[in-house]
Amino acid sequence: MPDLDDTLTTEAPAPAPAPEAGSVGIVTPVDFVHERPFVCKNGQVLPGFTLRYETYGELNAERDNAIVICHALSGDHHCAGRHAPDDRKPGWWDNLIGPGKAVDTRRFFVVCANVLGGCVGSTGPTSLDPATGRPYGMSFPAVTVRDMVHAQKLLLDALGVAALHAVIGGSMGGMQAMVFAIEFPSFVRRVLAMATTARESAQAIAFNEVGRQAIMQDPGWNGGDYPKGGGPRVGLAIARMMAHITYLSDASMDRKFGRRRKSGASGESYTFDVQFEVESYLRHQGQSFINRFDANSYLYITRALDHFDLAQAYGSLEAAFAPVNARFLVVGFTSDWLFPPDQNRAIALALLRAGKAASYAELSTDLGHDSFLLESEELYALVRAFLEREEPRVFDFSI
Amino acid sequence: MTALVEKRTVDMQIIGEWVEPRSKVLDLGCGRGALLEYLTQTKDVRGVGVDMDFSRITACVARGLSVYQGDMTAFMRQFPDGEFDRVICSRTVQELDDPTTVIGEALRVGRALTVGFVNHGFWKNRVDGLVRGRKVRNEVYTTEWFESRPANPVTIADFEHFCAAKDLRITRCVYLRGDWKTRCWVRPNLFAGYALYDLAR
Repeated sequence: MPDLDDTLTTEAPAPAPAPEAGSVGIVTPVDFVHERPFVCKNGQVLPGFTLRYETYGELNAERDNAIVICHALSGDHHCAGRHAPDDRKPGWWDNLIGPGKAVDTRRFFVVCANVLGGCVGSTGPTSLDPATGRPYGMSFPAVTVRDMVHAQKLLLDALGVAALHAVIGGSMGGMQAMVFAIEFPSFVRRVLAMATTARESAQAIAFNEVGRQAIMQDPGWNGGDYPKGGGPRVGLAIARMMAHITYLSDASMDRKFGRRRKSGASGESYTFDVQFEVESYLRHQGQSFINRFDANSYLYITRALDHFDLAQAYGSLEAAFAPVNARFLVVGFTSDWLFPPDQNRAIALALLRAGKAASYAELSTDLGHDSFLLESEELYALVRAFLEREEPRVFDFSI
Repeated sequence: MTALVEKRTVDMQIIGEWVEPRSKVLDLGCGRGALLEYLTQTKDVRGVGVDMDFSRITACVARGLSVYQGDMTAFMRQFPDGEFDRVICSRTVQELDDPTTVIGEALRVGRALTVGFVNHGFWKNRVDGLVRGRKVRNEVYTTEWFESRPANPVTIADFEHFCAAKDLRITRCVYLRGDWKTRCWVRPNLFAGYALYDLAR
């Protein structure tokens, strides 16, 4: 899941901002306001909704060069460029998206929206319910991944997009990408799903439940009714700390922190202050998360993930993929233990059994689930190959 | 490169003649996808390739092919009987850890199996090994033993013995001389550099 607080492959602080080659530059988020009622999968109705989004590149005359980027659980619409010249960090997938990059904004019109149910500008539990004038809180509809996708489709319609060159997403974003191809088969030409699953495993649900319990057991949660900026800050931080571990791997944490002590922590000091660097890192992750994420959104989105099960929803995975017209590329990462390679393979195999065009590639990494965000020339080459193929080609006979 | 292209071309042409138009093909050890692309363009097949290597998978994706990175036996076990019209095992059989299982699975998921391999019994390969007393290394086998994958140096005689022992029906075969172009009609185990078989259960 996009980790907004942390750079995966560089230990050094972000360099001083400068106009970077290959960057989409300074970007400004926009709000799409849908003013008609939106019926969620479970029948509950939102009187309307807002999606915050960003776009990079230009829509072509045929209006079919759009690429939708779907973010993961704690991600947002800001996936490339910077909001201000002195932003410390660019968007969460800036290494992949930009002029000349694997997702080349000179060719493609890239759209990334924050999901329905989220809290970074899109309508979610923190939004005001026009019926009461108070935040929705727990009265917010139980959104599903399908609802998130349908809301994004309305945005794309409003932008005048006629067809999607591709939908790209990792983790929860991969789930959305699959649903895009299933729900709107004539609209979607390619799907690139990484580090994802067609159904949440018991282990993934279990992790989500620990996070939710941390939130709901915090007295500050108060049944989901808390003032803006308040709420279960301790519970949300703990949920994030636990979840963050599942996004990494034993090897990557060991490389990054080992058993190194915080300065001043001595070997025999059996107190429960921060002693190890990994503890300090997790506490920092938890603290920074509560400043940008809403606890109720966390509950709603993790619940949407738990219920995600394409096989159950359609009878079988093959039946789920039956309407698909898109060409798929599924990428698994060897050290991902949240959505391991087997769960990614299962998607490609079901697509092939359903007679669809689908590929599976597996990248050897030790960065765990968050590997899909890593800076990797191999991954970039694969993504570029998938997005940019022009046909027909001259034969190349090299083995 | 030129010699390679010629060899590759003849190989592909023969397989291309055996493949039914618009059929469903599985290519085991598809490499960078040259054969599958050729079959897709000339025979309009619906193809899937399997290979272990990420960069070769990338090359296949660049060609617009469906390709799967992973173990070929595990892959085939995910498909029902007769899923494919034809399975192709071109220059792969000598690298298999367990040829019996792979060929058995291939003939379960495929109604036909095309196998093509370099004949280790070709006289030059015999002489080369005999004279040098080392692993065969010539224009056909170009790698040192320590840089190549585990290899079964299979011969035409070996392979036909295998087919007889496993009760596999050879429905077609073509032997090519050392140039991998001209047909070889006499004593292929000695004089053929390359062999192609079509098998059925």
